[in-house]
Parts: sequence; structure tokens; C-alpha cells
Amino acid sequence: MSQLLFFSLSILTILSALVVVFTRKPMYSVLSLIVCFFTIAGHYILLNAQFLAITHVIVYAGAIMVLFLFTVMLLNLNAESDQPKSGKLRIAAMVAAGMLFVTLVASIKSTTLGEFSLPPASDNGFVQHVGQRLFTDYLLPFEISSILFLSAMIGAVVLSKKEKH
Amino acid sequence: MYTLIYTCGLGLLCLVAEILNLRKLLIPVILAGLAAIFFVNYMDWQMAGPVILGGIDMSHMLQVDHFAVAFNAILIGAAALLFTLSGNFYKDEPQHLSDYLAILIFILCGAMVLTSFTSLVMLFLGIEIVSISLYIMAGSRKFDIRSNEAGFKYFLMGSFASAILLFGIALIYGSAGSFELPKIAAYAAASGMANPMFLVGSLLMVVALLFKVAAVPFHFWSPDVYEGSPSLVTTMMATLVKISFFAAFYKLMSGGLLGIDGYTSDILVLVAAATMIIGNLVALTQDNFKRLLAYSGISHAGYMLLAILSIKTNSSSALFFYGASYMLATIGAFAVAIPVFNATGKETIDAFDGLGRKKPMLAGLLTMSMLSLAGIPPLAGFLGKYYIFSEAIKNGYVVLTVLAVLASIVGVYYYFKVILAMYTKHGDESDVRPTMLYTLVMLICVGLSLLLGVWPGGLMGII
Repeated sequence: MSQLLFFSLSILTILSALVVVFTRKPMYSVLSLIVCFFTIAGHYILLNAQFLAITHVIVYAGAIMVLFLFTVMLLNLNAESDQPKSGKLRIAAMVAAGMLFVTLVASIKSTTLGEFSLPPASDNGFVQHVGQRLFTDYLLPFEISSILFLSAMIGAVVLSKKEKH
Repeated sequence: MYTLIYTCGLGLLCLVAEILNLRKLLIPVILAGLAAIFFVNYMDWQMAGPVILGGIDMSHMLQVDHFAVAFNAILIGAAALLFTLSGNFYKDEPQHLSDYLAILIFILCGAMVLTSFTSLVMLFLGIEIVSISLYIMAGSRKFDIRSNEAGFKYFLMGSFASAILLFGIALIYGSAGSFELPKIAAYAAASGMANPMFLVGSLLMVVALLFKVAAVPFHFWSPDVYEGSPSLVTTMMATLVKISFFAAFYKLMSGGLLGIDGYTSDILVLVAAATMIIGNLVALTQDNFKRLLAYSGISHAGYMLLAILSIKTNSSSALFFYGASYMLATIGAFAVAIPVFNATGKETIDAFDGLGRKKPMLAGLLTMSMLSLAGIPPLAGFLGKYYIFSEAIKNGYVVLTVLAVLASIVGVYYYFKVILAMYTKHGDESDVRPTMLYTLVMLICVGLSLLLGVWPGGLMGII
């Protein structure tokens, strides 16, 4: 049962990711990216990471995608207005990305993973356990990330505040 | 540990000062705060213990050792010099002063995380704090199209580099099973070379860090961003941020990836050679001062990569000394350049025309900074190069070192272009008037460069 779920989710993920890249209309890209995020959230649930799945849906499929949609609509990008890229650039990009792809696939294929001591599946991924780790082992990064967000927030205000020239 | 917390606190204080309307006092308060933080940091030198936060041992995230304390000290020093310059630099935008200064302090926080991380989580957070703050500061001159370009370009390229870094971290976590440097080091030594996924993960991480330090072929953003950003932000990027990224790079290579040295050093040799050659050769054709210093920064990144290559003989002292001398020379150069840019209204090398006749002292100080960057004795830049080159030779990189020496001889030519412009050409009658504080910063930078050049024991060999 879960194997069937895994495969159907994976196929959906890959298909929607391909649509994101290959479709010409930005709006379709954004919409299929939402599908992609939801299927990835499904993967997290299969891995027993419920908290991560929920935050993934709220943050990515919710907040960030709404932002993307707004940008696409506000800038009226839906028209097919992109100029064709020059041939040289295309070939260079294809060669570089293709080389990275081959390297990644080859390296992951020829890797034998070592022994992992995963915590028991029942303990994983629930809010309680995530919270416990966050406020003990990962307390410092948790606190430091507030500096990151604060800095980004000030930046957003400074850059977007309306003012006289 | 407390160094970091107090620095964050200082940043918050800046924001509160805006509400309380204490803008006039802001810069003296920040400088006093930095002095206090410097002292707190010095206390850590005496008793480097485990990092405790809220009663929990955080040593697996952050480790305060002599390496971290020493680098923090020069970062705080550089920040103090930059904040001394900032008062006059932002005098036309008092409404933004506290926001800008707060972001600059947060950059210092991120840099401190980078010098002392022991977990890849902290490495990523440190890099992001520094980078995101810099994207904002690069684009902070809203009505200047070049500043917009700089911010946007840096943001797009930097985001890709961060994504590559994260991908690398994920692959390393997948193969080593941990984010912590000691565990990764143990895995790398035991079976790193036999695991392609681990190697590709390290490759991606190295690439991302090479992007951040602007090494060839990942340097294309640097001249444009340096040119477009406000000069003070450019100074920060070229000094504080670059050195902190190098500290992080060194820590990652020596503390985590030493076991796969045979793999990474092949890449780094090529990158270092390309960085030194291309950085110096392209700098020859520049006529914008900030672009010139951007390419000079690229070539200096190439020399510092030699120190990263020599991790086996513990080259951290050489890197530290080089970083300090490079920072002093670059801040000294910009402290002269900013008033000159303001007076002449242009940022090209011919802005300096005739400065030797108009203001002999300024010209003399800029000459000293340029000579230190070029690596001419008795200034600190010479000894910095000497230490790094001798470390490289100790590790058997003779050909690379010869190349580095040749490249730095080429470098002398373009540093002299500025010096010649000051002394042999006639400029317009624009009046260059640096404030007292600018003169003070110039004198401190050049004085310390001279001091370190004749008495390197002050900084060399303390790590």
C-alpha cells in the first residue's frame, strides 16, 4: 500500500516538476509548482514527518506560492514575452547542467549508504519531538536564525518604504 | 559565545535608538559597545571552555577556540574602523542611519558565527545572515540604478550559491549521517574517498564557498557588485565579509574535509592558479577604482587559497596574518577614496589626478595602502604574502608559489597606476576634505600596517 503511494506520489512530483520547467506560460509553472510542493508534503507524511509536511504546505504552497502568483499577475508575465536566448548561451547552459546531472546521478548510483541509526518511527516528526529537539540540541541555531529574519525584515522595510527622491 | 550574544544585543540597541530618537549618540555608543565586545572576546582567549546556552552544552554547534577568538578580534576591529567611517558617509540619510547600522552589526554577528561554527547548520545560518544583509546593503541606495543592479545581481547569484551549498550539505549529511564537523571529519578520514556521494557533496560545498569568496571562475558578480554598491558597503564586502568567509572555508576544510584532502586539493590548485592569473591580468585594464579593488580582491583571494591548500601544516596563522594585513590596507585605501569620490563626483582612477599636489598627506597614506596591497616591504602586505608562500612551499606547491610571485609582480603595475595618477597628473581644483575621523582611520590603518610589517610577532603565530 505505502509502496504504491510512494510510486504514484513520485511520478506526480516528477511530472509536475517537469511541467514547471517546460511550460511556456509562467502561470502554469506556478500552478504546477504548487502540485509539486503538495506531493513532496505527501512524501514527508510517508516518512512520518507530519510537522515538516504541515509547515511545508503552509510556508511553501501557502505563503511563497501566493507571493509568486501575485508577482506573475502584477507584472503581467502571463504573455509569452520572453526573448529567445542566444544559441551559444543555450548550449553552454545545457552542457554545464548536463555535466552536473551526470555527475550527481553517477555518484548517487555508485554510493552504498552506510548504517544509519534512525530513531524509532513512532518518535519521529511529531510536533512534540521536533519541539524538544529544537529547544535542546538545536537551541543555538534556533535563536540565531531570529537574527537572520530580523535582518531580512528590516531590509524589506528599508527597501520598500515610500519616500521622496 | 557571549561575544556573539552581545553583538546581537548591540544590533537590537541600534534599532531601539531609532524609536528613542538617539541618532546623534548612535555611533559613539556602537564604538563603545564594540570596544566592550572586543574585551569580552579577549576574555574568551584566557578560558576557552565549552559553549553553554541556557544550561545546555552547545559545543556541537559552536566552538570558541583560539582560532575563533583571534578572527573575531580582527573582525571586531575592522567593524570598528568601518563604523567610524559610517557617520560621515550616511550624513545625508539620517532617517535610515539606525537601520543601516543595525544591518551592518548583524553582518558582524553572521561573521562571528562563521569563525566558530562546528555544525553545518551554523555554517549555513552564518552565511545566510551575512549574505542576506549584504544583498540589502548593496541595493540600499534606492534611487541609484547601479546600486539597484548591484543588489539584484548579488541577490540572484548569491541565492544560487546558497542553494548549491545546501545541496552539498544534504549530500554530506546523507553520507556521513551528521552535521557536526568532528563526525564528518571522522567519516571523511575513514571512508570519504570511497564514497562518491560524499565527494560530490564536498565539491558542491567548496564551489559555493569559492563563489562567496569570489574566486575564478565564480567571480563574475564581484566587480559589478563592488562597483554599484555604496562605497562603505563595498569596503565591508572586501574586508570583513571576505575574511570571515575565508575563516569559515579554512575551518570547513581543516575541521571537516581534511580526510579527502587528495580530492579537494586538485580542485583548489586549479582554482587558485586561475584566480591569481585572471584576477591580476583583468585588473590591469580597469579604470574604475572600485572595480580595480574588486579584481585586486579576487587576486588576493587566490593568494589566500594557498593558505587553504596548506592546511596540513596548520597555516591558520599565515591566513590570519594575511587577512589582517589585507583588511588594514583595503580599509585604509577606501578611507582615502571615499572623500575623494565625494569631492570629485566620480569613482574612476582619474579622480585621484593631482592629489599628490593638493593633499600630500592623503596621497602619501593612499600610496602606503597601495604598496601594502602590492606586497612591498616594509609593509604588512609583504610579510603576509611571505608567510603564505612559505606555507605553500612547505606543502610542496612550488610551481603554484612561483606563479603567485609572478602574479603579484603583475599586480604591482596596477597599484602603481593609482599612485602615478596622484603624483604625475594634473587634476581639477576640487577640494578634498576628509573629516577628522576619516583621517584618524587612515592613520590607524597605515600605522598598523607599518607596525605589523616591522614587528609581525604581534599577530603572527598567536593562533
